[in-house]
Amino acid sequence: MNAPAVGLHDAVKSFGREAVLDGVNLNIAEGRFIVLRGGNGTGKTTLLRVLGTRLRLSSGTGSVFGFDLIRQPGEIRRRVIQVSVAGGSYPMLTAAENLGFAARLYGVTVDAGAVLERVGLAQVGGKLVRTFSSGMKKRLALARLLLPGARMWLLDEPYTTLDEDGRELVDALLNEARQRGLTVIMATHGDARPGAPQPDAVLQLDGGALSVLQRRES
Amino acid sequence: MEAFRGAGDLRAIGVILMKDLRQELRSRTVLTATVFFAAVTLVIMGFAVGGQPDVLRVVAPGVLWVALAFAGVITASQSWVNELEDGALEQLTMYPVPRATLYLGKVLANWIYLAALAILLVPVTVVLYDVQIGGRWPLLFLVLLLGTLAFSLVGTFYAALTVTLRARESLLPLLMFPIIIPALLAAVGASTELMYFADTVKAFDWLQLLVAFVLAYGVLCTAVFHFLVEE
Repeated sequence: MNAPAVGLHDAVKSFGREAVLDGVNLNIAEGRFIVLRGGNGTGKTTLLRVLGTRLRLSSGTGSVFGFDLIRQPGEIRRRVIQVSVAGGSYPMLTAAENLGFAARLYGVTVDAGAVLERVGLAQVGGKLVRTFSSGMKKRLALARLLLPGARMWLLDEPYTTLDEDGRELVDALLNEARQRGLTVIMATHGDARPGAPQPDAVLQLDGGALSVLQRRES
Repeated sequence: MEAFRGAGDLRAIGVILMKDLRQELRSRTVLTATVFFAAVTLVIMGFAVGGQPDVLRVVAPGVLWVALAFAGVITASQSWVNELEDGALEQLTMYPVPRATLYLGKVLANWIYLAALAILLVPVTVVLYDVQIGGRWPLLFLVLLLGTLAFSLVGTFYAALTVTLRARESLLPLLMFPIIIPALLAAVGASTELMYFADTVKAFDWLQLLVAFVLAYGVLCTAVFHFLVEE
């Protein structure tokens, strides 16, 4: 039997005395699309960062694809691509250079022109990112999702700063992820979009605890 | 500590290095700040010491390393500040490479800036301070390379520790300088032997201390770096 995509057991993440995640238990099978909801500061980004091994659990245990969050972070990062709210691109590099930088660190080769065309940046691939709007930067961050090899996407507010065309791009990427059998965990404030796939579960984070708001009947 | 996996991680160090160099070539942020600052330091200190050639010659190595030390703080700090914009630092730590590769890539980039600055400043020092180096250039070149490497190893480490703090500009030199003192003394000592006393044997003694410092801090900082970027 395959290991679950995500397994968290009594997971606690504290900053000082404040527990942002307080005894979270979570099991997600591979290939599921999970939506995380919750108000500002409820721990959605923290949970994504823990799963992406950016943050270390204060207590409890966890794994991604069977790899331990604490002892095997490198194995996890090889299988996970995360898109943060800020985007994470370099203003003094071009869009193509930013994408090439990411591809080289993931150890994959990529046709930058084709990927940038897919996210609507083909015409500006050679321009410095410092000239981009926030929506264009978000598209560039989304382009990283198209790098080969990932089995899980961790998306933190992927729709923010995008125009309608950009939001449709996110819908299309989510549909593609479903077809490819990728596991997707997406934190969002927005309402469900008709063009996006229906999530397998909608989870709510509140006061450091996780609850199931909605589960799709299979 | 995440183990190194060989060629792939060496390539990752090169990718980080080239990214940092490309950014700097376009922005010239470090170049502008350090060259101007170091040149002003050399001129002002030379002016303050006065026109006595022997006094100028004896203080020249110290002044050169003071200029390089402060330029080293600017260089190290800026290399991580560049990562703060648009959340690049968070993204950088999400790539599937050992965190130590991020550190070593930046150490190399900072070393290249500082070593280039040192090589640029020596002829200026020779002219302004009336220094005679004679045939001791190769050994002085080695001292400059090792001294700037020591600065890059320690500076890049502590700059990563302080980059997200509001008081990073004041905290970085406070944390960094007590650690770097042995390397700074060795670099000044070796440079003084070469630029003033013309004694290559004593310079070599200082050089050994510099090599020991670089090896010790190179291994230590690389081994514990991942603790700095994990919260």
